[in-house]
Amino acid sequence: MSSGVGETLAALAFAPDGETLESAVALLASNPDAGGANDAALRREALARYAELPAPGMRPGRNWKHDYDKLRFEELVWTSDRRTVETVPFGAPAHDADPEADRPALATENAGGLVHLGATLLEPEDAARGSIAAGAGRRGVVVATLADSVRDRAQLLDGVKNAIVDWRADRFAALAAAFQNCGAFVYVPDGVQLDAPIQLIFASSAAQDEAVFPHVVVVLGANARATVLERHVGEGDPFVCGIVEAHVGEGAQLDYAVVQQASEAARIIFSRGARCERDAQVRWHLAELGGALARTVLDAHLDAPGARAETSALFFNTAMQHVDLASGADHAVGPTTSDTVVRSAATDRGQGRYVGNIVIRPKAHGSDASLRDDALILGTRAHVDSIPALEIAANDVKAFHGATVGSLDEEALFYAGSRGIARAQALRLITLGFFEPVVARFPSEALRDEIRTALDRKIDDATEIDG
Amino acid sequence: MSSARGLVARDLRVAVENKEILKGIDLTVEPGKVHALMGPNGSGKSTLAFTLAGHPGYQVLGGSASLDGESLLELSPDKRAKAGLFLSFQYPAAIPGVSVANFIRTARQAVRPDDLTPAKFRKLVFEKLDTLDMDPAFLGRYVNDGFSGGEKKRLEMLQLAILAPKYAVLDETDSGLDVDALQSVGKSVNALRASDEGKEIGFLVITHYPRILRHIPADVVHVLIDGRIVKTGGPELAEEIERDGYDGVRDASASAAQAEAAAARV
Repeated sequence: MSSGVGETLAALAFAPDGETLESAVALLASNPDAGGANDAALRREALARYAELPAPGMRPGRNWKHDYDKLRFEELVWTSDRRTVETVPFGAPAHDADPEADRPALATENAGGLVHLGATLLEPEDAARGSIAAGAGRRGVVVATLADSVRDRAQLLDGVKNAIVDWRADRFAALAAAFQNCGAFVYVPDGVQLDAPIQLIFASSAAQDEAVFPHVVVVLGANARATVLERHVGEGDPFVCGIVEAHVGEGAQLDYAVVQQASEAARIIFSRGARCERDAQVRWHLAELGGALARTVLDAHLDAPGARAETSALFFNTAMQHVDLASGADHAVGPTTSDTVVRSAATDRGQGRYVGNIVIRPKAHGSDASLRDDALILGTRAHVDSIPALEIAANDVKAFHGATVGSLDEEALFYAGSRGIARAQALRLITLGFFEPVVARFPSEALRDEIRTALDRKIDDATEIDG
Repeated sequence: MSSARGLVARDLRVAVENKEILKGIDLTVEPGKVHALMGPNGSGKSTLAFTLAGHPGYQVLGGSASLDGESLLELSPDKRAKAGLFLSFQYPAAIPGVSVANFIRTARQAVRPDDLTPAKFRKLVFEKLDTLDMDPAFLGRYVNDGFSGGEKKRLEMLQLAILAPKYAVLDETDSGLDVDALQSVGKSVNALRASDEGKEIGFLVITHYPRILRHIPADVVHVLIDGRIVKTGGPELAEEIERDGYDGVRDASASAAQAEAAAARV
């Protein structure tokens, strides 16, 4: 049954200004149980940075300033980590969506997870299974809200929360830090290896007016292993602006997969960063499939010898979708390894930008960095900019980068045609194949098939696909 | 349109980028027969292959092409394949991210919908792989992506065997092949021709060198020079070319043309 503990707070009309922030801080102070994970001083400083920093919309590539300038907050309200008193089946957000529509399925094989509808945490029907599987719990694994964790386990967050993603350097990370109002903490102790994924679901409803500012913190102890799956689903036109920080301990391995299938009107902006200790490995997997405007920063900080980052990302912009993606691999010391593969496609009025940064610092001797980025333009009005940037300050390193922007290979289409495969089907086959190097790296076959199906559906929805 | 069976070209004239390459080709490949089309580089051999298969870069200026009486020239490439035509490419395109297994399943399903259960299809594929000395691991690789020349040609032959068309045009299938690969290709084609589903296939084997004809013996040999078939004969014509090169045939055809022109002047 329900174990809702929080009072529903009054909602504030949201604006990214000092008045709203002070009201938010006052609300949080009036109900400590509702909990804000960030303290008031940090929020104020973050808001000041937000006001100073430029939108990430300027060059290189197509000017994105307009996308960020036209973000509208008028209809939005702000509330803090509320808990619903209704119970919901775990994995099925309680909103009015078509019951036949795809649900983020959280089956028993999950090691744990949290479901948010807007900024509101939904209490799982089976609390024990919902928040954390019993077996994982016994081994000291934590899956909890960030607010609870700040209250109960502050020492585990020390040096991780607000220490990996530099909100002082990014306008939207600063906004997220200032107005953070929900979040999750995942902790996997030393030596614990989870086979099943931990799922963090962020859902929206058609009626939702909450601006959602999630903050996810993941800590893997030495030699731990875990898969975290972050999903975005739902309806309406939500505004979500969040931070994800992951600390990967010595010899540990984190697979962090993001499947963004937000509604077609969603604005969804995330700064995600991982820090790897000695011989640790982070594998970022990102599928940006939904949303009207999606921006993602995906960083890996390779801070100790033997650290490795594998970053795989795809987007497929149809209709009016704009996706702005930046990845970074920062080789602080050597030898460290990064391997980045990005595949993007656009059609109709889809617009995309990918900025791939590799930094090899002076102490990073013996490092190996590879960056491969290919874009496929399927419509005459679609556009993707691809901007790889390598900064190498060490000797004796291997660095590779390659980028292409092109249209469908007519010779491949003819070849498939000569085998009886009609043009529309060949086009689908070739387009799906184009994404496969990224899809193939996602950490489970079920997830890979889900993404293939979603891409296939996007091909159906595209009006202009054979430019 | 004639209802006669065969892969037929009549006075077929084709241009590429406004340059006339084929200047009137007449050819009939009958079911179950092997025709060799030989000629030096640049004579128009591959142009004929691509034109029959419907490549959009080849502009038909005149004449006709048909398959068992069905006109090909108005059909899209996939409809030609569904009508029973197969082209083995000299340089097959890569399709990254699409596995061989997925591709051949999709192709078979397109050409012969639902005629085999998945289990029977699987059995067929493994039989054909075996004939071609191909590792089943091939099925998991992406189509022609990073394949060696020999692997590409084996994959073409695998598809030929699995699709079992009515007519197959093999464009320079021997080029770039070592002796072992060439033997595998020959074995595969001959195994197909010996099978029930393959005995009626008519072949047009396009080649520069006669050596492939030792593995796939031709019933009829045509020599194509400068966009025209200048000579047609039996298997002995291939031997003649091996001995004397194309110059002998070229000289003979040039003097014949001169004689014709002289006769016209008279």
